[in-house]
Amino acid sequence: MIKVEHLYKSFDGKTILNDISVDYEPGKCNMIIGASGSGKTVLLKNLIGLLEPDSGEICYGDRKLSQMDYNEKKALRQNIGILFQGSALFDFATVIENVMFPMEFFTDWSEAQRRERAQYCLEKVNVIGSDNKYPNELSGGMQKRVGIARAIALNPEYLFCDEPNSGLDPYTSILIDRLIYDLTKEFNMTTVINTHDMNSILEIGDKIGFINKGSLIWQGDRHSILKTDCKELLDFVCANTLARNIIEGR
Amino acid sequence: MPDIKHFKMIKRLFESIGKYFLFLGMVFRKPEKCRIFWRQFINEADKLILSSIILVGVISLFIGGVLVIQTASNLENPIIDKMYIGYMVRESLILEFCSTMVALILAGKMGSNISSEIGSMRITEQIDAMDMMGVNSAGFLVLPKVTAATILSPLLMLLSLALGLVGGYIVVETTQIIPTASYITGIKAFYKGFYIFYSCFKMSLFCFMISSIAAFNGYYSKGGSLGVGRSSTQAIVTTSILILLADLIVTQLMLY
Repeated sequence: MIKVEHLYKSFDGKTILNDISVDYEPGKCNMIIGASGSGKTVLLKNLIGLLEPDSGEICYGDRKLSQMDYNEKKALRQNIGILFQGSALFDFATVIENVMFPMEFFTDWSEAQRRERAQYCLEKVNVIGSDNKYPNELSGGMQKRVGIARAIALNPEYLFCDEPNSGLDPYTSILIDRLIYDLTKEFNMTTVINTHDMNSILEIGDKIGFINKGSLIWQGDRHSILKTDCKELLDFVCANTLARNIIEGR
Repeated sequence: MPDIKHFKMIKRLFESIGKYFLFLGMVFRKPEKCRIFWRQFINEADKLILSSIILVGVISLFIGGVLVIQTASNLENPIIDKMYIGYMVRESLILEFCSTMVALILAGKMGSNISSEIGSMRITEQIDAMDMMGVNSAGFLVLPKVTAATILSPLLMLLSLALGLVGGYIVVETTQIIPTASYITGIKAFYKGFYIFYSCFKMSLFCFMISSIAAFNGYYSKGGSLGVGRSSTQAIVTTSILILLADLIVTQLMLY
């Protein structure tokens, strides 16, 4: 469980996050949604500790992030898997080496054990037969899959995904969404997904928080989002006329 | 009259210096696993030092030859023994060329290599990914580069010296600008072992500066591929100026 309490963040006097309070539960796909520039990525970066909030608190279980020392943060990070927007696979390593990378640092497993675990993770994300390829030899969708395999390599409690389907075609996007959803349920991870993709939201959004101009103004799930009367959220959801007509029953 | 702009520039300069030393603090943290460090060290030794051998070798060979011709043309005095040409070529190579000039050349090659590699990892979030895994990215990426460059660069200096003298010998032998025996006597005359130590020390120091400053610039790159290019250029310019400044200080401290 991740608990966010009264989080504020500003840059050069401009408020980006304004009093955000939200809980992210284990075994659920928790989604942060909002338009570009609404503060989603800043919230995600605060959650994973890449940015420090001006005030407010982020708790992992009963541990406050702000009170953790270097070693505690390091230990926590080994329990976090992250899928970056651009996958962030290491150019200098092959597919299998990318997945083995965190294991090499944080386990005492032998080379054979690491390889076996990496192959298990790659099978989970349906990447088979590409072990010795380099990231630049893979398609965008494949890179995302390898990114997910690397993120779950150490069996983390928490999984963060920053716009997991940006740059992917609708079909591959759904496959990636399904994959994240299935892994979340299978490993009971607390998954937080940052997205503005409506397909993803409707497909896997167990818990959804809508951020508008830095404030969390609506919370619900994929079923209640279509019945909302929040004007800003409706504008976001019904950005195209067809969707608006369907929702409004025309 | 200094205005607010100058104060801001000075403030930025001091901030950068502070940030550089904090960065070095991260770099010199104990590596997570020695096995991984040594593997990276070998890779970097290959990438930074071994791959520079041809460049350094070719330049040294030619500069050795050119130095012989220039020194000979400046010492066309019947009173001065020709062996002094060999002696002066050796001293020029040891004292300045093989360390400072080679370091300036390496600042371009090694510096841009390190800065652009780390910079592109920064803008593609690879460094963030490492940090988020709990890996000390500065230590993992930079420490092997800095140690390989600092420890192994004196070998490049010795290679440069040897090939510079060989270059001089080839010119002497082919042009007979001075008798070969005089050249050989000259390069063996008044030998001071301390000068070799001095030159090796300078080379190590300069390569430490090249690798750490280039890595620092790359590590804090921002603004996409243009930013990487900018930080790469900045690394080379900064390092070149600092090498010349350090050369002056070290020479004053060690030779006088």
